[in-house]
Amino acid sequence: MKKVRLLSLLSVTALVTTVLVTAPTVANAAPACDGKSPIQSCVGVTSDGAPYAMQVPANFNGTVALYSHGYRYNVDIPAGIPLIGGYKITNTPEPVPGGNAAVAQYFFSQGIAIVGSGFARQGWNPDSAIKTNVELIGTFKAQFPTTTKVIAWGSSLGGVITQGLAEKYPELVSAVAPMCMADNLAPQLTMAGDFLWGVKVLFDPTIKGGNYSPGAAGVAESYGDLVKVFTVMGKLQAALATGAWPDTSSATGKALAAAGVPSRSALLLLGLMAGIPTQSAHFDSVSGPEGALKLTFPLALSPALAILENGTNAAALAVLATQDVENQVGGAFFDNTKTDYSARVDGERVIFNAALSGNTVIDALLGALSAANPGAPRAVANPAAVAKMQALHTNTGKINVPTILMVGMADPITPAGASQRVVDLYADQYAAEKAAAIKAYQTSRSYKTPTNKLLMLWNTTPSSYTKFDAAGSPITSVPAAQGTNHCNFTSAQLVLVAKSLVAASSTGKLPSGGALNTAVRKAGNLSVDKGIRAPWLKSYGDNS
Amino acid sequence: MKALQRRTLLTATAVLATVGLAVTALPAQAAEVGVTASQIKLGMTLPMTGTASLGYNKIPGAAKAYFDYLNANGGINGRKITLVVKDDRYVPTEAVAKTNELILKDKVMALLAPLGTANVKAVATSVNPARRGVPVLFVNTGFSGFADTKKYPTTYTVLPSYIMEAKIMGEYIKENFAGKKIGLLYQDDDFGIDALAGFKTAGVNFAVKVPYASGSQSAASAAGWITKFKAAEADVVILFGVSSATSAMLGTAAQLGYKPQWMLGSVGGDATTIKLTGVPAGVLYNAIGFSPVPATTDMTDEYVKFFSDIYAKAVPGSAFDLNVLLGMNTAFMTAQALKAAGPNPTRKSLMAAIDSKGATFASSALVPAGYSKTSHVGLTGYWVGKYAPTGDLAPIGGTYVTYTTDSGSGPVVKSTYKRPAMPAKGLPN
Repeated sequence: MKKVRLLSLLSVTALVTTVLVTAPTVANAAPACDGKSPIQSCVGVTSDGAPYAMQVPANFNGTVALYSHGYRYNVDIPAGIPLIGGYKITNTPEPVPGGNAAVAQYFFSQGIAIVGSGFARQGWNPDSAIKTNVELIGTFKAQFPTTTKVIAWGSSLGGVITQGLAEKYPELVSAVAPMCMADNLAPQLTMAGDFLWGVKVLFDPTIKGGNYSPGAAGVAESYGDLVKVFTVMGKLQAALATGAWPDTSSATGKALAAAGVPSRSALLLLGLMAGIPTQSAHFDSVSGPEGALKLTFPLALSPALAILENGTNAAALAVLATQDVENQVGGAFFDNTKTDYSARVDGERVIFNAALSGNTVIDALLGALSAANPGAPRAVANPAAVAKMQALHTNTGKINVPTILMVGMADPITPAGASQRVVDLYADQYAAEKAAAIKAYQTSRSYKTPTNKLLMLWNTTPSSYTKFDAAGSPITSVPAAQGTNHCNFTSAQLVLVAKSLVAASSTGKLPSGGALNTAVRKAGNLSVDKGIRAPWLKSYGDNS
Repeated sequence: MKALQRRTLLTATAVLATVGLAVTALPAQAAEVGVTASQIKLGMTLPMTGTASLGYNKIPGAAKAYFDYLNANGGINGRKITLVVKDDRYVPTEAVAKTNELILKDKVMALLAPLGTANVKAVATSVNPARRGVPVLFVNTGFSGFADTKKYPTTYTVLPSYIMEAKIMGEYIKENFAGKKIGLLYQDDDFGIDALAGFKTAGVNFAVKVPYASGSQSAASAAGWITKFKAAEADVVILFGVSSATSAMLGTAAQLGYKPQWMLGSVGGDATTIKLTGVPAGVLYNAIGFSPVPATTDMTDEYVKFFSDIYAKAVPGSAFDLNVLLGMNTAFMTAQALKAAGPNPTRKSLMAAIDSKGATFASSALVPAGYSKTSHVGLTGYWVGKYAPTGDLAPIGGTYVTYTTDSGSGPVVKSTYKRPAMPAKGLPN
């Protein structure tokens, strides 16, 4: 198999979203508006220093859409670091996802205003961001007193912020849409920690993977980790067909290599342990090139390639978010001293048995990664840091207002399981509401079926999508498949969410039935099938 | 949490019933997915192409042959059976994609006879037919775990489990090859785990055990296996793998002149399939094999004769072999289940029918099935045979002696099972 030029083609644009509007940096009591028509633009800064932007159509109908952007790195990235080098911290406001013109145009066409801030701090920020949004809603209403309804939506970490806003201040919003929503901090960064720890103990023990020093020294250490992790991924990619191990591998890794364990099987196991999807932007784990690799490619190679692509895509965020949160809570929070990685992969080892090279190899790998092996030392958290982390904002998953979730089935950074968890929790909530309604009937003799308040839009992957060139090598220069990559939505899908939010805020009910099915079909690559189920993040245990 | 949810729903339902509350008029019961006035649609995924497809790719044609016969004779209460078949190439992730298509796009009522332990497990995990209430009928895998009704509540096994097979093999070894050195080739996944568990229960001690990772089987790897068996001086070598592994091993052994006493597991033991790969029939001669259904050459058996005649008309020129017989038998059992599911079958009534009547369904199998309201265990045993010079498996001594057991620690015993006579014209009553 020809070498796959993978790393240079990976997209990280979804992590660091594009921006729309420049804004002043000095806090103002009221926004500065340009008074233009048909769209009036206003900018300002909240009391905590978050720049914001408002755009209000001349035919403003009283509804405003508040958007919360996703995670932005909280440190500048030196130019020499692969993939993400050159990034500068920015808190530029983002009133619609990625500055999407079609979305903005839709809202304006309906007489709906848009608003969004860049938040006061980047990195993991729901605590401050929710407060910022509350203030921003008040500021908007003060500036535009005819405001009657606020709809809120957000992507990735912005999904957490949006859900948090609806949980804490349901009276402020009439409908919300957390899209490609991250899970809470602990499960989300446990996923990152599991993968980084595995890469460290097998492929390069000089990777820190966490427990960074405070302040600038820790930032420098995280830069070093980024380079090392990307280097390891490059070496694994180069040796994917042969199964050779990186020259930086640990003694444990070298022993596995000597025992004939292919490095691709080790990489796949790490991905499965962490819960990284086995479908990626260009690897569907289904297709194979014509010829001798027709069956071998999907059975033995493609799942590892998918982990490589997804893992590389997620690694930067894993390292930098870990450093950021450690800095916030004062020490290491990732702890896998009690993690049973064998249990983590129990359901998947048979499915990917061929790519994992059979039970004998799987058992050898799990033995090497077990807590009993001193050659793979477990990460130990700082209890005080864990306590501080637990005090940071956590969503309960309670649904207070009509809510629309949308997520890619193979999102490598905010797995679909984060949304699945909310779906499952809401099923319990709805059942309880129904039981309460029945109980109330016994005294009032008036029964009202509780209104459904949750719509789940699954962004599905195509049945097969890996492309091969004439020589049988996979093509990674084509756009990422639907349902893969992080927050990889089309304008049509985003507009569908926007329309559904508007409808729900207007009627109090989410779209359903034939009208919804038609709209979903037209948006493309979405499903509302209740039979679809994504696994929760791994640290929750088995919730399949 | 799911249990809590279910309890809550049940409680709510019970309260509603208690107070006799007519909240809203109930809508007329919607027709079941995949069932119309004239048709019942079923779906099947299995390897139709690729190295693992050999032999198994005859199963859909065999099932269709029976369904066509059934349809020509009135179908099930006037409904014709349509079978939608999709090729998964024995790739678990592809089985997931194709099964999703069957459920979401083709709108099948039930999944029928999906093949392969890894594939069925992948579908159970990723497609979740249990949560959707989709029956998964008569899976083509002997993995014992699929009979776990808590974990796979809508899945029904049909083949005897690999544990049962290994236990029966073990019993035969103890009776006939005491003191011999035994070697085992097995697939290094759940398929093999079941086999190892069965042999352990049977008390078989191996001189050498050779695992192979699924998908790695080839002539080159077979040469390596033989080196290991030779080094251990194995007198008896058990091939407990898929057809492509068996064929690779026997073909390479023939080339290298390696001639231990072969013992073939039923999964990879179909003679027609093995011979199609170029393995000379003589290599199979005197090998020991196991089957839950009669020898496919036994035209004195009413089921074999009936299915063979239908198949010959439906697929002229195609050999009637074990995969064909099992495929037709599965279709035959499915027809009985659909008939027993009532005039307007639903997914629930279909499963209820197997739970209540499945153990009494007519079948070519010479061993009993274990279906009940608490068990989704299919057939429970084998007869032991030897391969004739033609390569066909025949009962030792000319008489079927069947053994039955369970997937636990129960004993292996000779079966006294009396097979039901075939219903008139081979149609469900």
